[in-house]
Amino acid sequence: MFIHYLDLSWRSFKRTPLVSFLMVLAIAIGIGITMTSLSVYHMMSADPIPEKSSQLYSVQLQTMDDGSTWWTEDNMPLQLTYQDAENLLNAPTSEKKVAMMRTGFSVYLDSDKIKPFIGNARMTTPDFFSMFNLSFLYGGAWSKEQENSAAPVVVITKEINDKLFAGQNSVGELIYLDDASYQVVGVINHWPLNIKYYDLNNGAFNQVEELFMPFSLIKAKELVSWGNSNGWKHENTPTFADKLQSEQVWIQFWAELNTLEQKKVYQNYLLAYMQEQQKRGRFNRKELEYKLRDVNQWMQYNNVVTEDNKILVGLSFMFLGVCLANILGLLLAKFLRRAPEVGVRRALGASKRQIFLQHLVEVAMLGFIGGMLGIVLAQLGLMGVGQSYDYYENLATMDLTMLLSAPLIAITTCILAGLYPAWLVCKTNPAIYLKSQ
Amino acid sequence: MLQMNNVSKVYQTEMVQTHALRDFNLHVNEGEFIAVTGPSGSGKTTFLNIAGMLEPFNEGEYLLDGVDVGRLNDNQRADLRNQKIGFIFQGFNLIPDLNLYENIEVPLRYRGIKANERKRRIEQCLEQVGLASRAKHIPQQLSGGQQQRVAIARALAGEPRFLLADEPTGNLDSLMARQVMELLEQINRDGATIVMVTHDSELARRAPRNIQVVDGQLADFTLYQGAQTIKTASGV
Repeated sequence: MFIHYLDLSWRSFKRTPLVSFLMVLAIAIGIGITMTSLSVYHMMSADPIPEKSSQLYSVQLQTMDDGSTWWTEDNMPLQLTYQDAENLLNAPTSEKKVAMMRTGFSVYLDSDKIKPFIGNARMTTPDFFSMFNLSFLYGGAWSKEQENSAAPVVVITKEINDKLFAGQNSVGELIYLDDASYQVVGVINHWPLNIKYYDLNNGAFNQVEELFMPFSLIKAKELVSWGNSNGWKHENTPTFADKLQSEQVWIQFWAELNTLEQKKVYQNYLLAYMQEQQKRGRFNRKELEYKLRDVNQWMQYNNVVTEDNKILVGLSFMFLGVCLANILGLLLAKFLRRAPEVGVRRALGASKRQIFLQHLVEVAMLGFIGGMLGIVLAQLGLMGVGQSYDYYENLATMDLTMLLSAPLIAITTCILAGLYPAWLVCKTNPAIYLKSQ
Repeated sequence: MLQMNNVSKVYQTEMVQTHALRDFNLHVNEGEFIAVTGPSGSGKTTFLNIAGMLEPFNEGEYLLDGVDVGRLNDNQRADLRNQKIGFIFQGFNLIPDLNLYENIEVPLRYRGIKANERKRRIEQCLEQVGLASRAKHIPQQLSGGQQQRVAIARALAGEPRFLLADEPTGNLDSLMARQVMELLEQINRDGATIVMVTHDSELARRAPRNIQVVDGQLADFTLYQGAQTIKTASGV
């Protein structure tokens, strides 16, 4: 019977092409706008590393003395001091952990064929690659020894490798960063990351870095942060060594804690660490405080999806509601005009339920066609959004979930809009129309 | 076949209460051909609608083939209507977008009959009404008489035991009306019970049994048996 209802729906579509087209257009515009904002929202709020997002924790320590305040909702600094990061890195605990900082270099080769360019770099520790699930095209991460000795090594992205080495295996090659040469030890595969969750300073949707280098080079080369450096008290830091020992926070720190037990041990360690630091005159507080937030909590805490985005999605759904109100009106007119035919069908043995279903199939079909057209409009909308800002390029796309959701939302909302007209037409008294037709 | 006992139907508006049928009693036996006559507004169509379960009644009892219609829900009434009753309307009531084949197919689909069986029945019915070659035509391409024959074919396709005809010749000229009437008589001879509402007294006289409805009640009852005419006040 369902196929028969589809056939009847298609005939009805063809019988009133203008009204049907207007309804499809209304659905398509509503869905197009809704899916545009919803897709961006979905990409912004999607778990960037679902396979282990609940095992990766951003570490925050409350370094401020009592009475000082920070702008975060829980008064906690977002980053760590260099000395805390270094101490936590050297902790005799079993978990994987990374300290990191964003910086940058002028990148060039010993060749006149490649123009120098500015490359973003992430100074980090070797666990970074396995913790955040990066895979290597060539080579691998630098060794612990290279990390400890601040070896001049670098891991580059596939994109940079394509640019500098035409995609060839560049492991062992030298590249120049500012005034020093660095040996390539690895090339990572394309890393399509929509949300740069591991470092939410300077924008959550910026591109990932092109160069990855040992954290120990910060000290050795006196590298400055290209991210945020914040302080909570006046400190005189004329030399780089002073900055490293200061209370300024500028290092991101993550730990991979795979079990609750591991998390508990690490929490105890953090408390013990702060107590030990108190003895050295730091953490002048009555209550010691730390925070471990997993990836999704970290994104929420940092308001990756802003209130504006949520309002935009809400508004687009309201617009879809307006479109549906129009469709409801058109459906009412269309279905009630068909009441005489419904009367005949009822007289010939159709139950109210069958009439109701027939009309719901028709609105579902309108929803499906509208949803498909809506996807096309949404693609145009996303293209527009993508061109507005560079960082929207990755976000302004529809993934499979959104592609499947579009017709589903269209069909569901159309069925909702069609419930009343379908109910009204199925409960009309057939006797009235049989005589008058 | 059909038994109505003290059936009443009242149409109620805010201002007016109209008794379309009051204490209506009628027994129709299997295989009968009954013509229902009466002035306009007397309740003929209301009777036919109630008989076809297209309208509910307020009081009384209606048994169709032994089933108490008053106790059925909408789905059960639709099933019963689909299986036992065929309708023929004055305005033909063919669905304009469907061709003849598809029009006749409508009640069969609702009954859940398989495609092969539907095809057999439709072709047989179209043959019976002399329109086998027009199966792919749409109703607009046919004359009024032909459309009514399609409507009859549609009513017959479900192999109903009970045919309800509301002014089946009302929109036809005399020649076509006679052809349709002959078709109905043939159907009755084949075993179907027919109740036909008509204004045409000449047509009514061709039915073996006539009843007259006046002010929502059975007023007169005439039985034609060959040359003999028997009048009675009883509907039984």
